Amino acid sequence: MDWLLGFYDWFLGFYNYRIVIQYLPEFGRGLWATIWISAISMALALSLGTVVAIMRISANPISWRIAAGYVQAIRSTPLLVQIYVIYFALPALPLLGRRLDELEGGILALGLNAGAFMSEIIRAGIQSVEKGQVEGAMSVGMTYLQRMRYVVLPQAFARVIPPLLGQTAVLIKDSSLVSFIGVFELFGAGLFVYSERLKPNEGYLTVAALYLLIYFFMMYLANSAQRRLGGGRAAQ
Amino acid sequence: MIDVIWSTLPFLFEGLWMTFQISIVTIFFGSILGAAIGLLRTMNVTPVNLILGAYIHTLRGTPFLIHLYVVYFILPTTGISWLQLEAFPAAIIALSMYTSTYVAEIVRAAIQAVPRGQVEGARSVGMTALQTMWYVVLPQAAKLMIPPMGGIYVIIIKGTSIVSVIGIAELVRAGEHATQRHPRELMVIYGMVALMYFAYCYPVLRLARWAEGKFGTLDTNG
Repeated sequence: MDWLLGFYDWFLGFYNYRIVIQYLPEFGRGLWATIWISAISMALALSLGTVVAIMRISANPISWRIAAGYVQAIRSTPLLVQIYVIYFALPALPLLGRRLDELEGGILALGLNAGAFMSEIIRAGIQSVEKGQVEGAMSVGMTYLQRMRYVVLPQAFARVIPPLLGQTAVLIKDSSLVSFIGVFELFGAGLFVYSERLKPNEGYLTVAALYLLIYFFMMYLANSAQRRLGGGRAAQ
Repeated sequence: MIDVIWSTLPFLFEGLWMTFQISIVTIFFGSILGAAIGLLRTMNVTPVNLILGAYIHTLRGTPFLIHLYVVYFILPTTGISWLQLEAFPAAIIALSMYTSTYVAEIVRAAIQAVPRGQVEGARSVGMTALQTMWYVVLPQAAKLMIPPMGGIYVIIIKGTSIVSVIGIAELVRAGEHATQRHPRELMVIYGMVALMYFAYCYPVLRLARWAEGKFGTLDTNG
């Protein structure tokens, strides 16, 4: 049995689960923060993404140019820079005056970032709705807003729910970056354990396992949505 | 403001040069690793597929920040001497692994997009499986891989911003240093950093869009 004890000793040195148990409340708080930060950012991104998608396919050049510029600006710059710009740089604009706190800045940056990617997904969904549907709605006298609200968007969203869930999984992973402007969330819990005990493994490996858990849950959601809706494929 | 721009520009260009170097090295190693994984996955050997599937899902399911910290902080705690990595190789390894998961999916999807009849035709004239892959499938699949690789390159460029947290002097890090010299000009400095990323990424995205029109799109989710 000596080798077993030896292994146990080595394992405790590599990953001391007692430290993890001791810091369980912090990991729990971090997990919870990651979940609700992601939820608010996703709500922001979905509403923004829908508006931008509609603007992007409109015939009005001002409207689609603004939408396209926003999407390209977000897609061509790293999220970390977007977070820094919004948190550090925006308050320097005289009209804003008040400094956004870390949480507001982080959520705003995550929402703006995911909004651009989601708008592209939603746009593809809208464009996949058959032209006959719009023509039918027009022929019964629906206005533009009514057509969008009752005919186009419900069909578009039904098709893009799986890829939107995939994008949400990306958003949850990306939310780890807001720990660098001082927001306490799941990755922040790992940083905290490291800073207090100087043991990286107990902090970061535990956090990694929890992120994986969220990811598999999101994959399960995307797959069941896909099965129920029949159509489009789930994003990886 | 003009003199702030003038005095920080050389630093930022040094950072951009580092970002460029990291992204080039990473797309090289990440593509080789990813192509190998994607090829192996199309061979449908169950145990290999299970291992590679676990590799891809583990990397896809955790933030890149975690990969970076695992390679840089956790590997050294195993006590194995060749896993004691400096910041630069750690960043390259973590980024290449992250890239490889995307490349693997694209290579696999492109190979599977080549019509089955092509393989059957090649086999029926007596080519071996390797010859079929090399002379018939890969040349056709390669064309399909070109447009999505542009998207991956942009993902890498943006990913390099994160390695600033382990102290690599790339563009974001250079920006942070500049803000320490000019703490009142945050807006200008981060604005310049963002513009530099844009100037690097946007042409790549346009090129990828153009390639999509030329070579067609690929469904990477299958």
